[in-house]
Amino acid sequence: MKLASLSTRVHSSSQPHDPAQSVSLSAEPASFQFHTVTWQADGFGFDATSGEFFTASPTALIVMQALGEGLPRPQILDRLTTRFEVARSTAERDLESFLAELVHIGLTQDSN
Amino acid sequence: MNASPVIAVTGLHRGDNPQPGSAVIRSLRRVYPELRIIGLVYDSLESGLFSEEDAPDAAFTMSYPGAGEEAFWERLDAIREIERFDVLIPCLDAEMGPLVDAPEKLRERGIHACLPSAESFKCRDKSKLAELCARTHCRTPQTIAVNDVNSLHQAAAALGGNVFIKGRFYEARHAITPAAREAAYWHMLEQWGAPVLVQENVQGEEFNVVGLGDGRGHILGSCSIRKMLRTSSGKGFGGMIIRDPQLDAIAQSLIAELRWNGPFELEFVKSEGPQGEYCLIEINPRFPAWCDFPSSLNCNLPAAAFELAMGWQPREPLRHAIPGKFFIRHAIDMTGDLCDLAALTTIGQFFRQPREFIPYPASSRPH
Repeated sequence: MKLASLSTRVHSSSQPHDPAQSVSLSAEPASFQFHTVTWQADGFGFDATSGEFFTASPTALIVMQALGEGLPRPQILDRLTTRFEVARSTAERDLESFLAELVHIGLTQDSN
Repeated sequence: MNASPVIAVTGLHRGDNPQPGSAVIRSLRRVYPELRIIGLVYDSLESGLFSEEDAPDAAFTMSYPGAGEEAFWERLDAIREIERFDVLIPCLDAEMGPLVDAPEKLRERGIHACLPSAESFKCRDKSKLAELCARTHCRTPQTIAVNDVNSLHQAAAALGGNVFIKGRFYEARHAITPAAREAAYWHMLEQWGAPVLVQENVQGEEFNVVGLGDGRGHILGSCSIRKMLRTSSGKGFGGMIIRDPQLDAIAQSLIAELRWNGPFELEFVKSEGPQGEYCLIEINPRFPAWCDFPSSLNCNLPAAAFELAMGWQPREPLRHAIPGKFFIRHAIDMTGDLCDLAALTTIGQFFRQPREFIPYPASSRPH
């Protein structure tokens, strides 16, 4: 199992642009607030305070929802290993990598 | 006073820099479909005149603001000899000054309007924004008013070179080079007069708040959006409704300080990053062109402004529209008739007639 990247943060750029390219993929830093983002089952997330919207893969969605609920890592791993056929050690490695990526693209402050 | 109030609305052109009048008409008709509405226009080709859905019942050409206040009031009186309107909803920045400075001229004519006081109107001027923001602890980009080219370059250098050159009433151009700054300066001076404003460039997402103040420091209703799309001239072409308590608090603080009466639009940029702050860019003293969007979601601010102007009790509390709804602007072609154009151009008025229906000929293709 490999947690798919969440760098597919879809947001509509408000910079002057060609209207034909109205929606862009971006990994710019955002003021991501777990408690104000609601996720749909298809992986589409919306932050009601910033108006940003996001997409997440099925695996990333499980992690994002768990982070939103404030779950610790062991419980996030429980969810991943229950939902997917994956060794816990593999899931743990991928989760660490994913959390580090969230920090790297500025969606979270730290990976603790 | 007419048995059923007649309303006059300005700013009916919805081109690439859309004016709010047509959106105001559309919102009014959502609640009061039988209302008689007249358009006061500055050009016989204002697109809203030819719309099927939000055109006024009649239209009259106005004198240009540059012709002076006397000409403005004379023309208004001449129009009222033909069509005695009771309420005026001005939708253009340039025409607000004479109205705000002389509310007694409206009162003595029996015209109702929902306008800010002259003092609050001046306090939200682009050149006074820093003082207002200092009093309300709101961030705003540093802005310098200039009246000549030397001051322009000095101001731009003081602000780091990467600046916006803004017109007194409308328009902003991003300018980095001296040549671009000068070109923008002369353009703004010619279009909107002095002073021209040089503003620090704050990078970030744009947020707008449309609302209605009661003149006692309260907001009767508001709706906040994040601009999703912008045209090449920076005009919003799409927006997503948001609900951010921090933005609501800033808006409340500004309107309370101004004791703003009537419609307003607050424009913010939120600086990038997790610690990004809302930075007030400007306060528009009227409805924005997107004001009908919240009306479609039970937050009908133009109808509430009309009721406020008439001194009526509001129908119901205005709701904040639900986050997640968004608008996308859609440009379409409309059909005009030479008769309407001729009437407006020659005698300065036209009365809307039912549209001629032109049937398509039956298809001659064999089945």
